[in-house]
Amino acid sequence: MKRITVKIAGPAGMGIKSAGLLLAKIVTEAGYYFADYSEYPSLIRGGHNTYQITISSEEVYMVDREADLLVALAPGHEEDGKNLLEIPLPTMTMQLGGQIYANTISIGAICCILGLSREKAIKIVAGYYGDDPKNPEAFEIGWGWASANSNKTEIDKVKDNEDKESIMDGNEAFGWGLVKGGCNFFAAYPMTPATGMLHFLAKNQDRFKMTVVHPEDEIAVANEATGASIAGASAAVATSGGGFALMNEAVSFGGMIGAGVVYFVGQRPGPATGMPTWTVQGDLLYAVFSGHGEFTKIVLAPGDTSECLKTGREAMNLANKYDVPVIVLSDKLLCEGSKNISDPEKEETIIIKSKKIIPGKGIHLYNSYEHDEEGFSTEEADAAKSGVEKRLKKAKEILKYEDNFFKLYGQISASNLLVSWGSTKGVILEAIRDNNDFAYLQIKMLWPLNNKIEKIINSFKTKILVENNATAQLGRLLKSEFKIEFDKTILKYDGRPFFPNELKEELKIQNPSVLRTSPLEERET
Amino acid sequence: MNEVHLKSKIIPTWCPGCQDFVIYASLQQAIINQKIDLKDLVIVYDIGCIGNMADFLKVFGVHSLHGRCVPIAVGIKLARPELKVVVVGGDGGVYGEGLSHLIAAARLNLDITVLVANNQLYSLTTGQTSPTTPKGVKTKSTPNGVESVPVEPEGLIRAVNDEAWVKHVSCQKPSEVTTAIEAALKHHGFDLLDIDQLCVSFGKQLL
Repeated sequence: MKRITVKIAGPAGMGIKSAGLLLAKIVTEAGYYFADYSEYPSLIRGGHNTYQITISSEEVYMVDREADLLVALAPGHEEDGKNLLEIPLPTMTMQLGGQIYANTISIGAICCILGLSREKAIKIVAGYYGDDPKNPEAFEIGWGWASANSNKTEIDKVKDNEDKESIMDGNEAFGWGLVKGGCNFFAAYPMTPATGMLHFLAKNQDRFKMTVVHPEDEIAVANEATGASIAGASAAVATSGGGFALMNEAVSFGGMIGAGVVYFVGQRPGPATGMPTWTVQGDLLYAVFSGHGEFTKIVLAPGDTSECLKTGREAMNLANKYDVPVIVLSDKLLCEGSKNISDPEKEETIIIKSKKIIPGKGIHLYNSYEHDEEGFSTEEADAAKSGVEKRLKKAKEILKYEDNFFKLYGQISASNLLVSWGSTKGVILEAIRDNNDFAYLQIKMLWPLNNKIEKIINSFKTKILVENNATAQLGRLLKSEFKIEFDKTILKYDGRPFFPNELKEELKIQNPSVLRTSPLEERET
Repeated sequence: MNEVHLKSKIIPTWCPGCQDFVIYASLQQAIINQKIDLKDLVIVYDIGCIGNMADFLKVFGVHSLHGRCVPIAVGIKLARPELKVVVVGGDGGVYGEGLSHLIAAARLNLDITVLVANNQLYSLTTGQTSPTTPKGVKTKSTPNGVESVPVEPEGLIRAVNDEAWVKHVSCQKPSEVTTAIEAALKHHGFDLLDIDQLCVSFGKQLL
């Protein structure tokens, strides 16, 4: 098979995701690519949790919804029963002394079916769960069962995954990006789906020489980061929509005084508490218009795990280069979904320092009131006008110097153009893989919007907008800024991401798609 | 170094007779007496009458948001521990809008000095009840009298962390204010100086 999707289901607490990531590690070391996706309710024990992973010899941009192999770790989690591996887990776990081994037994069975190397897999299993000898044993039991009871479903021959052997989710990748952009102050209050970044950076704060704090609330998070920025640090925070709501006053303050902070927002369905562990792209307009008053801010959105890394670095540098708030929109799919990427440690470190006056290097008043050049308050008409203009002028500079935050994929001669932002990049690249009828424009800087985008979109005959929200928020922005009208708008807002077949159906692309000679290529314009 | 160097180009706009002048003079005197190098000093101001001191001193300053002076100061101190970080706010911002931040900073025992001009009123907004207004007092927002009991800052912060340095002084005795600010600046760890004062424009009912 060209690509295989494995799904593991069961109640929370049975190590579903850890087993899934173990499989991800085994297939990555075997030279395959993967992308994964998990669904879980907001609770600690019980519920119906799933982890699914699509494995292929080619890069996987988005996981498939339909599982080729389904494992239920406990009764009642068989879903529709399609492609279910009927492993007698209760008997086997009893033999090992605990149902916690059901996950590793299943991984053993799956590895056997996929035709992976038993020796290499065993080595990884032994190192993965510390020194518990029962895990390799569990793996062997699963392997033995599958070799006697299942047919092999091997994936197409292994291509080398080009040293893309670092497995991480978007949270960790963005954390690495911050490190590579010189971030040395990070504050966060836990909020799904961005909490993983706090865990990762807190754990590695000594190694990264970063001050990492978990203050009393998101208001303190944003203000401490702003204080750190004033003091000369490169400061970032991470949260979700609800936490970002509490930070808005500080976004406005940062815009007024010219203190750059990176605000990472992992979107989840709202309003209010919404659905904490599910995905959406519902906060684009909120981010663009966040903070009271008129001032310049930057809104960025990475499209995949590798871009999370690069965007972390870029966001930190843009915050310091222009001394403005930089909001980075991710979502649950990207924050908590993993992929295999190049070693982040080897990524180049690029640090742009802010030129603002910091303590010890001069006297200045950072003033939340309208102020003059030294920072002293003023209510004079001329001074007020020039203050507003000074803050808005930054947007013009950003548009002039940062004009490459978009990417066109596919042929310029294609008749259809898909337009999106953020994590929908993955599913779009899957849907139009090997299909020359479609090109794709990914917008990475959502604010301010560069008019190069307008020209590209208008050069295509049919324009299709894809957004994981209910109100076509990018569409609204493009309409208000450039008067762009889309011929078709494809939206999804049930807490789930788009899956490749679903989008293909919307686009009326036959599956398997017509294979053309030239593969999908990235094209810079 | 003398007093002239600390004053900015802007002449204070407080009401004639306002005791904010006492705190203003005392803070300058304390900085001079303690020989604090201006290169190492950051003052973070809250919003309110006393916060307007931001315009009247020529030091490295941050005139922050209402209630957020403490977390701004915490961020500065965490990023640059070598700096001397002083917070100047009123009872509205520090004990009201920002009380949770004050408690968190006291728990952390972070080495910052918090000076609170406590006049038991919101005065820049023309006289509403604050967290320290005594029960029963009539203000513009409580015409039938305040129904809550007031916050008692000294006891509150001591209860949170008995290692925190907390002191209460009154603007009626300006020399004590200067001495107390100096003691707070010298102290390592969190310190809160609650400075009692009277609002000459809106506080007559508190006499």
